[in-house]
Amino acid sequence: MNDQQRVLEFVMAAGEVLLKNGAEVSRTQQTMEIMAKSLGVDSFHGYVLTNGLFASMGSDYGQPAQIRSVPASEVHLGRVEAVNALSRKIAQGHVTLDEAYEELERIKTMPYAPSRDQILACGAGSACFALMFGGIWQDGLIALAVGLGLQVFLLWMGRWGLNKLITKFLGAAFVALVTMLLFLNGFGQNMDKAIIGALMPLVPGMALTLGIRDLIMADFLSGTIRMLDALLTAACIACGVGLILGLATMIPGVNV
Amino acid sequence: MMLLMIEFLRQLALAFLGTVCFGLLFHVPPRHFAACGIVGAIGWLVYWAMMLVQPSSVLASLVAVIPLTIATRAFAIVRRAPVTLFLIPGIFPLVPGAGIYYTAYAFITGDTVQCAAKGAETLKIAVALAMGIAVVMSIPLKPSNLRRDRS
Repeated sequence: MNDQQRVLEFVMAAGEVLLKNGAEVSRTQQTMEIMAKSLGVDSFHGYVLTNGLFASMGSDYGQPAQIRSVPASEVHLGRVEAVNALSRKIAQGHVTLDEAYEELERIKTMPYAPSRDQILACGAGSACFALMFGGIWQDGLIALAVGLGLQVFLLWMGRWGLNKLITKFLGAAFVALVTMLLFLNGFGQNMDKAIIGALMPLVPGMALTLGIRDLIMADFLSGTIRMLDALLTAACIACGVGLILGLATMIPGVNV
Repeated sequence: MMLLMIEFLRQLALAFLGTVCFGLLFHVPPRHFAACGIVGAIGWLVYWAMMLVQPSSVLASLVAVIPLTIATRAFAIVRRAPVTLFLIPGIFPLVPGAGIYYTAYAFITGDTVQCAAKGAETLKIAVALAMGIAVVMSIPLKPSNLRRDRS
């Protein structure tokens, strides 16, 4: 591989890490351009979409070009920050291409938070939100239990590689079902607050935020994809909750 | 007044902790947890205060998201990290999760009027958040220039 090809390979890999882990489209494109320029490639042309990268170098015949498909995966904002820091270092000229490759490999394997911490965070977060939205402490406690269960459920589902929308749908149904069961003994008071608190880990806050940011930067196509994602996810959550509530109303004597 | 103060502190602590938890779920590095929590708390406290003085959650969301986004930009410059790192966890308290639930609830109980009202409100909140973020993010500011001035 000659030098230019290696630069392209590196820039594409860095762009892929950014896009996969929750950077917006314009930042990915900008970072790729800065990196290419700093590594000595003058004419770099990149085009970034929510789920794909396209780039070429130079205008002469026979210059390298690459396309990469970037399917959605779990978001890791720490990696976005690390690539950002790496690109800053490259721009300052402190890093050679080999060092940059090494650093990128390290970033790619940055660990996720341990499952135990994720489960605890999901539970505590759900409880906080249930209380913030006006639940009493019993509701918070139920949201805590449901949140813990939800993350276990999501991690377990993650292993099956299920489609994201189905996961959200089943997650919402899980939250509604378990919360209703826990309310059967009359411990909590506001079932709606507990369900909403435990639903918060599922709501499409990230798709909404990134969609807005893409649209502001005039990346209309990517922004539309994200917004559609947010809308469909919200609809799936509503369907999941609705399914359980609807089934519950059919059981005589149950009041939702 | 005393009670209000206590409630204020309780909401502050809850919003801070809740946002940090969500930061962990998105694998934000632990050294940025405090910043994420502060961003989330700012947004939620402004929303909470707005809801005390007027009934519209759409207006409250719009007013709350502006200082929230300003805070993310400030942290992005000070901590030299992408805005996304603080904005994604920080926005969660304002995302209309309740709206999604009440829309589904009204739909199932057959209350069509309420369903349409809640659905529209949810959408309006999302648009309000979008407007607020758009306004603040569009204020031109070159962090690189600032840094050069400082050094």
